[in-house]
Amino acid sequence: MAVFRQWLDSLPAPNGVLERFQRLGRNSLLNDASPTRALEAWRLTDLKRLEHLFELPLHSNQDVLDEKKLTIIPDKPGNGLRITLDSDCDTSDSLKLPPGIRKLNALELEAHLGNSLKSCSLNCDWPVAINHASATQVLGLEIQGQDLPPLELVMEAKPCALSPTRVILILKEQAKLELLQVAIGAEEAAQSHLIEIHLGQGSELQHGWLGFGKHQSSLLVNMAITQEARSNYFITAVQHGWFLARMEPHIVQVHGHANTTMRGLQLATNQSQIATHSSIRFDGPEGSLDQLQKSVAAEKSHCIFNGAIHVPRIAQKTNAAQLSRNLLLSERARIDTKPELKIIADDVRCAHGATVSQLQEEELFYLRSRGIEATTATSLLLKGYCQEIFNSLPVEANRWERLITLLESMQA
Amino acid sequence: MSSQNSLGELVSQPYKYGFVTEIETEKIPKGLNEEVIRLISAKKEEPEFLLDFRLKAYKQWLNIKEPNWAELGYPPIDYQDLVYYAAPKQTQKKNSLEEVDPKLLETFDKLGIPLSEQKRLSNVAVDAVFDSVSIATTYKEQLAEHGVVFCSISEAVSEYPELVEKYIGKVVPPNDNFFAALNSAVFSDGSFVFIPKGVQCPMELSSYFRINSGDTGQFERTLIIAEEASSVSYLEGCTAPMFDTKTLHAAVVELIALDNSSIKYSTVQNWYSGDEEGIGGIYNFVTKRGHCKGKRSKISWSQVETGSAITWKYPSCILQGEESIGEFYSVALTNNLQKADTGTKMIHIGPKTRSTIVSKGISAGNSSNSYRGLVQMGPKASGARNYSQCDSMLIGDKAAANTYPYIRSNQPKASIEHEASTCRISEDQLFYLQSRGIGFEEAVSMMVSGFCRDVFNQLPMEFAAEADKLLALKLEGSVG
Amino acid sequence: MIRKEAELILEIRNLHASVEDKAILQGVNLSIRAGEIHAVMGRNGSGKSTLSKVIAGHPEYIVTSGTVKFQGHNLLELEPEERARLGVFMGFQYPVEIPGVSNLEFLRVATNSRREKRGQEELDTFDFEDLVRERLKVVQMDPIFLERSVNEGFSGGEKKRNEILQMALLEPLLAILDETDSGLDIDALRIVAAGVNQLANPQNATLLITHYQRLLNEITPDFVHVMAAGKILRTGGKELALELEQSGYDWIDKEQNHMEAK
Repeated sequence: MAVFRQWLDSLPAPNGVLERFQRLGRNSLLNDASPTRALEAWRLTDLKRLEHLFELPLHSNQDVLDEKKLTIIPDKPGNGLRITLDSDCDTSDSLKLPPGIRKLNALELEAHLGNSLKSCSLNCDWPVAINHASATQVLGLEIQGQDLPPLELVMEAKPCALSPTRVILILKEQAKLELLQVAIGAEEAAQSHLIEIHLGQGSELQHGWLGFGKHQSSLLVNMAITQEARSNYFITAVQHGWFLARMEPHIVQVHGHANTTMRGLQLATNQSQIATHSSIRFDGPEGSLDQLQKSVAAEKSHCIFNGAIHVPRIAQKTNAAQLSRNLLLSERARIDTKPELKIIADDVRCAHGATVSQLQEEELFYLRSRGIEATTATSLLLKGYCQEIFNSLPVEANRWERLITLLESMQA
Repeated sequence: MSSQNSLGELVSQPYKYGFVTEIETEKIPKGLNEEVIRLISAKKEEPEFLLDFRLKAYKQWLNIKEPNWAELGYPPIDYQDLVYYAAPKQTQKKNSLEEVDPKLLETFDKLGIPLSEQKRLSNVAVDAVFDSVSIATTYKEQLAEHGVVFCSISEAVSEYPELVEKYIGKVVPPNDNFFAALNSAVFSDGSFVFIPKGVQCPMELSSYFRINSGDTGQFERTLIIAEEASSVSYLEGCTAPMFDTKTLHAAVVELIALDNSSIKYSTVQNWYSGDEEGIGGIYNFVTKRGHCKGKRSKISWSQVETGSAITWKYPSCILQGEESIGEFYSVALTNNLQKADTGTKMIHIGPKTRSTIVSKGISAGNSSNSYRGLVQMGPKASGARNYSQCDSMLIGDKAAANTYPYIRSNQPKASIEHEASTCRISEDQLFYLQSRGIGFEEAVSMMVSGFCRDVFNQLPMEFAAEADKLLALKLEGSVG
Repeated sequence: MIRKEAELILEIRNLHASVEDKAILQGVNLSIRAGEIHAVMGRNGSGKSTLSKVIAGHPEYIVTSGTVKFQGHNLLELEPEERARLGVFMGFQYPVEIPGVSNLEFLRVATNSRREKRGQEELDTFDFEDLVRERLKVVQMDPIFLERSVNEGFSGGEKKRNEILQMALLEPLLAILDETDSGLDIDALRIVAAGVNQLANPQNATLLITHYQRLLNEITPDFVHVMAAGKILRTGGKELALELEQSGYDWIDKEQNHMEAK
């Protein structure tokens, strides 16, 4: 990949708080093999689209038109806290943070950055290396206590550029937070996002992700999440409209005894390729997972789901359930789904399931037998299908009109 | 409670087919090259087309990398350190059983497969394969009356060369994968079945494979053709002596089903699996594939896999004919250091094709048992359906159960449904049975056999009981 | 209520239908007038559920010959939703669970599509809520069920009550209740039956599909039809159901054998 070389050469000299990661990332990009179809994890990804990432500069000369912004970004929640991440400058400097939310200082960042990545064995993962190599800013927050205002992180792509953003959240013991991340794509733009989250003992995080892509916009997201005992982590992710989106939530329950709930919805239209590669490992007993991943593939789109669950010997009494439900709406669309279970402990309950089909004939007939027209019935069912996931998003997500529009536009 | 420990002991049962038959064997020197292939072909007095087939496959083999995606973690195999042809010394081709070396007959007697006319199994025709050659086929004449051909593949090559040439390598092309290429280059013997149009095969057909030599690779090849509106049920069984070296077994099985025909292929695999330290045992790399070529044709695979140090096999169905049906029913039991990576591929090509997958994996000891499957709905598979169920049972906390079901669909009017679970024999269940006066061993074996019931029900009557016994045997032993 | 001069609502003539190439209905004839309550009884596999699905227009059931007229309309050429809007209602034996679709929204869309057909104005969310709360009383249902997804997590009895609620909202001319009694305890059965009785009037008609007499203890039919092998074998008054209760269905075999012997 010649573009790839050029891209590396175009990066600024390593410096700042992320210096060691910049070196690490660039080294690993130079020395380790880049993705090929021969690698199981990349077998289904459209590599041409991936390559396109490296044709984009890190800085953009264009700015998003203000009126455009207005139509899409709602007012910030009354009592909530919104931080807009910028890949070029630190936007959190001027912010007034409420009690319980505190910025990590340089020393703390040094101490915490990379820990969750390491626990999730993501150090040399290729999309992580891209973020390492290019990110110059990092937002680090420590969360303490409960009754905190909801936190909203907005990541807006810069047109015709690659925007790398990085976040680290440390939830102290018993802390409780609602976090909504919104990624907004732009024409000919790409985003690389890396977030590390550490949930301390007994803490709870309601994590929502909204990804609103555009034609010719790409997104690579890596999440490294470590959960201490008795912590609860809920993530609900909705992705739509990307040319290429690849989301990789990686979770480790470091001592087991924690709960993880995952909900995902991939809505693919046009020529979208939207993928989720999730993994969870239980490094202790009595952990639980409840995962539901849905996909809708219409027109010429392609949805991919790969869900790994690893239950080593130490993880006795793990209870994990994973379900992948897929709707294939067009003859030119495609669905690939692959649960992946590795279980060594014997006293566990693990179940997984997968379905691929059209809308259910029986459900359609039921609605039609009550006088509802076929097209209305179809869109009702599609809405219902998505609603199940939307319902588990943080409440604040409902202020994002794009979500409503998305629901309204639902038609087979 | 000690029940989990004793469970472990229960599954460690000595292998009872481990004896070696002392018989003079003719072997060719170790190693593999073009000359060796020509030599095998010459020894078997093969026609030109087959030699060409072998040589072409050999060249392709040289260019294919040995697969490692199954992560079976075995030490590299030195393909030049193997003998590719071994046969018990017999002067001429035998015309009747009386002429077969009594030692061979005795061997099969000991394995519970008597071949002689007085003792042979009723209503089951058997083709007995010893190392690289078929030594006898029973009931041949009776089958011939119905037009059914059941013989060794070598015999088929000389008697029905046009059928062999027409079908060999069509379902599993030589370059399909590393082991299929190797088999295509050096295959020695195997079974051949041809069921003509409209014939329901009057009895079960069975092949019994016996590896006897320690350093010999076994490469059998089976070809079954069911013409329009015919049906057949076929069963294979396999055992091998205990050696402290690994033995390679790389077979290819091809099935072809034409319009309205059905083939039922059942396997009870009990190759030597090595000892508790993992010394010895068979490396079992098998490519099995059926082609449902005709409308409403049906291919059903059932397997009970209990042996081998390593098992790598994915009996598959290519569902091309409209409304054709593919089935896969599997029980795989691994113990000690055994590794099994098995499953199926259901490739739906034609409209309204249907497939069912039921897989039961039981892992004990330090073993690892993986289900790996692919269900694919092609663009023309409108109205196609698949249902899969993959369950794993773990015995002891050192065994691994992995599940990798790949699903791909290109067809909105097709539906795929996959369900899977992992469980163990719960102490509550054991206690319940024991409190009703059922012994520990019997309770465990009841539970395991209950877990496998759906699959056993698919086996031919005569062998369902045998499979049950085989599992019980593996689970039999002293209660700690 | 039998009135000779009442309007003919449903007229089925020589109906043959099959599912997955298997012939199920083999010549059904049935006429239903306004105000009447009919019961179709028969063993499993006799074709009685198929009859209800064919009238409602289930896509898997293929009509091979015969006619079904509903108030003069040729029912067989209409889509299921068009039949529903004209006033055909089928209460499902196994009401379908639809996760994510709110029961309230579903009821509103359905009710409005029927109202539109009858030339009534569309009800907005508020007016509809008033209506639905009033109709809930018919089946003694808790309003909490409106907030849930369609039939999701409902018990057997709750599902059947939800069916009758839909009937109360759609005000059909012909209500076909397919094995509505199956899986109900006696209390739930009484509530459901009371609902059906309350909704029956001289302008509409009811067709009960059932296996057992016990539903007919609660809803008195004017006509009882016995189905076997895809045909209506005998028709009588409510006393026929009692006869069946006592003597079982065995006489059917005899009668059929007898017919075949001829």
